[in-house]
Amino acid sequence: MISTTYEGAHVKSLPTLRLAAVLSGVLLAGVPAFAHHSFAMFDFANTTKMPATVKEFRWTNPHVTLLVVSMPKPGEPEELWSLELTSPGNLTRLGWSRKSFATGDRVDLEFNPLRDGKHGGAFKKATIVATGQVLTSNLREAERPDLK
Amino acid sequence: MRHAAPDCSVIAAAMIAALSLVWPSAPVRAADAGSNPSPQAKDWADLAKLPDWSGVWTPNVSDQDARIKSDPVPWNTQAAAQIQRLVAAEKAGTPKGLFINCLPESMPSWMLITHNALEFLFTPGRVTLLGESDGNRLRRIYTDGRAHPADPDPTFHGHSIGHWEGDTLVVDTVGVLPQTYIAVDEAVGLPNNGDLHVIERIHLAAPNVLHDDLEIIAPHVLTKPWHTTRIYFRQRSRKYDIVEGVCLQGSFSDGVDEAGNAVFVPAPQTEDGNLVPPGK
Repeated sequence: MISTTYEGAHVKSLPTLRLAAVLSGVLLAGVPAFAHHSFAMFDFANTTKMPATVKEFRWTNPHVTLLVVSMPKPGEPEELWSLELTSPGNLTRLGWSRKSFATGDRVDLEFNPLRDGKHGGAFKKATIVATGQVLTSNLREAERPDLK
Repeated sequence: MRHAAPDCSVIAAAMIAALSLVWPSAPVRAADAGSNPSPQAKDWADLAKLPDWSGVWTPNVSDQDARIKSDPVPWNTQAAAQIQRLVAAEKAGTPKGLFINCLPESMPSWMLITHNALEFLFTPGRVTLLGESDGNRLRRIYTDGRAHPADPDPTFHGHSIGHWEGDTLVVDTVGVLPQTYIAVDEAVGLPNNGDLHVIERIHLAAPNVLHDDLEIIAPHVLTKPWHTTRIYFRQRSRKYDIVEGVCLQGSFSDGVDEAGNAVFVPAPQTEDGNLVPPGK
């Protein structure tokens, strides 16, 4: 079930959001929870590539999340995918900001998928189609002093 | 003849002042055990004699990973069997996170496995570590010469006292809750189970590289003290400034209540705290 809260305040009318809050027990089912956890549920031996459209960019601690809608082949349904990243602080150091993605951005994604086949993954790389900007999030590529 | 004999407090002050020349963090005035003296100009000036640890320090996460093999934890037999099961679960992609409840990573794991930055503040009689993770947790390390309390209340970060040996800060920590983990990553580790004692020697290994050499004594889960090191890199760019880090923030969604107020709405979590994907 897709939660209305995925869509965020930017695209929902106030009455709809009020309804979402009032009915949160129902409508929030499926909202990702981002407690401070291991990333071992992701399959780092495999990379999935996917063209998609940004639905919501959640700039929250302890893990940032990118929610996207896949761009299916003709006749196939759209799918909502949830990609997890490191913290806002760590991403800021890699050049990101809370405005790195806007709702509606077309992106070419690479991510390490969940091992259980569900629609989630660990973010690896995104290319914003309109600008060609490439965003990566590997902390281990920034392990040296005095980074600019 | 009130002033015929030297005042004992004058002698004590002179002795302490002499001591402060060789040990900048030593108390410069006599103080009773129950109060913190007001810092004087000399106390602030003495801080300049300490090594420069300013800036933001980012952890070497790759090295944290490598030390799982190079500095193996000397688990006792019972602990090793539990660790084996946790490692197997992690390899199978079904880890049960140690910190998914967002309680503090605590000592010693805060130093062992953090992926976030930290910074140091030197003030008279104290070194303070300020972290980004764990809701911007901090560690207070008293360098004013005090001892540990005889029976400290157990806390997540324990009671830390420190002193300088040259340019090395030696930190001694006790009074840590038995539930706090000795962790090698977010899903592999065990509670220390009591009587934890951590000794750290923190020093610059290069102008912009800081080492924390840890000795972790946990008699209920380890067969001997565990020696390991954690490495941090100094950053000066302002984009590395530490930001807010609230562990529970991700457990809530943005919402609006019936009165139109912006509110946080609790989001359901899975049993193991992992991401709930939107289904197949």
